[in-house]
Amino acid sequence: MGDYFLLAISCIFVNNILLAQYLGNCPFLGVSKKMETATGMATAVIFVLVLAGAITWALSHYILKPFDLEYLQTLSFILVIASLVSFVELFLKKSIPALYSGLGIFLPLITTNCAVMGVCLINIKEEYNFLETLVSSFTYPAGFGLALVLYAGLRERILLARVPKPLQDTAIGLVGAGMMSLAFMAFKGMA
Amino acid sequence: MRDVIKLFLIVTIFSAVSGWALATVRNLTGERIEIQQLTYVKGPALKEILAGSSNDPITDRFKVPDGKKQIDVFTGVFEGKKNTVAFEVSGKGYGGNIGIMVAFNIEKDELAGIGVTTHSETPGLGARAKTEPSFRAQFKGVSINKPVKVRPEGGDIDALSGATVTSKGVCAGVNDSIEIYKRLKIEILKNIKG
Amino acid sequence: MAKSFVQEFTKGLWTEIPPFRLVLGLCPTLALTKSLENGVGMGVAFTFVLILSNILISMLRNVIPKQVRLSCYIIVIATFVTIVELLMQAYAFPLYQKLGIFIPLIVVNCIVLGRAEAFAAKNGVIPSIADALGMGIGYTLALGTLAAFREIFGAGTLTFPFINYSIHNVLGSSYKPFTFLVEAPGAFVCLGLMLCVMNMLGKK
Repeated sequence: MGDYFLLAISCIFVNNILLAQYLGNCPFLGVSKKMETATGMATAVIFVLVLAGAITWALSHYILKPFDLEYLQTLSFILVIASLVSFVELFLKKSIPALYSGLGIFLPLITTNCAVMGVCLINIKEEYNFLETLVSSFTYPAGFGLALVLYAGLRERILLARVPKPLQDTAIGLVGAGMMSLAFMAFKGMA
Repeated sequence: MRDVIKLFLIVTIFSAVSGWALATVRNLTGERIEIQQLTYVKGPALKEILAGSSNDPITDRFKVPDGKKQIDVFTGVFEGKKNTVAFEVSGKGYGGNIGIMVAFNIEKDELAGIGVTTHSETPGLGARAKTEPSFRAQFKGVSINKPVKVRPEGGDIDALSGATVTSKGVCAGVNDSIEIYKRLKIEILKNIKG
Repeated sequence: MAKSFVQEFTKGLWTEIPPFRLVLGLCPTLALTKSLENGVGMGVAFTFVLILSNILISMLRNVIPKQVRLSCYIIVIATFVTIVELLMQAYAFPLYQKLGIFIPLIVVNCIVLGRAEAFAAKNGVIPSIADALGMGIGYTLALGTLAAFREIFGAGTLTFPFINYSIHNVLGSSYKPFTFLVEAPGAFVCLGLMLCVMNMLGKK
């Protein structure tokens, strides 16, 4: 149990996917201007990634590895993620319209969110077992969500401040993200 | 309906062509990739623990089956005798798995040294398992008859300060390798003689 | 649509240079600019994929049906990415190790898919090559500049790609490296400041 707890802490804080592993930055800058969109995106990523992590793990361990097809990893993972996203979209639209109206617009963006593909690849590279894969597939996007929501709060404040013209928008956003990343670096000392 | 079938066919054809192209490239580069991986990932650690051997351990390698897995075993020749073997195991560290290359002296049944191949430990803390030779030197000449432990747990290994998780992970990996060595010793001896 | 080859090529170098003007493909920009070698290595791998996928997609643009175009693009791109991955493992293994999972992640790099959808699917082969070449070289230049800056000031060294040569102590041996720049926060701040400089220089 302790191992899984350690893994979860490391995924959320120490190796935060956005601020320490640099994955998923496009949506990070894109949807963090408002708190609402930030929470929506975070939920959608968690939802898709738990499914994608489990499926790609099974794919890798039961099909790619036994048949020595590991070179097809990139191709098959992206196809799994893309079809999974379309499937989830259809499913939500038909059966849970309330959730769909909240998450719908974020789902297509997830296919090209490198955090999703990235975590699936990390799961395989670190040779996690199935449970560890589930833990990391849940806690990595949770860390993503945490950073995203905190950062959206920051950005709402930045809107009120007077920023020099050339620094406006994305530029100041990146500098702000740098400061947050500095704060998260402190977690590295917890070895 | 015919449209759907047509679309489906096109995507299938795309996937098939892509699969075929990849298989071709894979076949052309496969052998080179294996050699490159051994040279760059395991080479440096191997060179360190088998320093002074008169052969190239990467050329003198053989595979030994262990359950479902195949283990790559590298041989080192010292004083004209093939008396040292090395293979890789992994231990759990703080930032993920640590790849540990462990060498055994067959004649004396003791550890001939360990080297770290791959890791993702914190620089300056756990990463010193790879950068500080004095930590790894403690494993040289250790008997395989009792498990290796860090000092607080009643063993003889001084843990890296500030990196207890990493040090324990390395010890656990070494203990695994000792078990594997005991299990496969007969097979290994057969391969060396043959 | 009747722009010349040169115009299609040069727009990628300045007016639409990724990732500064087109704020896409940021992840490798942040992660792989610790050293010049990584930055340029990534840029070259990226350019290779972009050119080949643009060529193939523009050749097949009349064959691919609209409804499944994205799946087809993704298959084409993923195939080329895997080819680059295999070739790098065979011929540039140390670089492959440094770039790590960012090579397979070229698949989800928004720029590649974006160019396929926005340009190659609508234009002929020759303009598509020009577009890919311009974008690729622009991206490589951008990554290279950022990487050189971070490496020189953050580590005090400069490693050149492909020729296995590096200069130690670029700024003299008494220079204390500003390590902040090569760590994660430095990446964000540097990129932010680069964007700011680009904004000051204006569009033209």
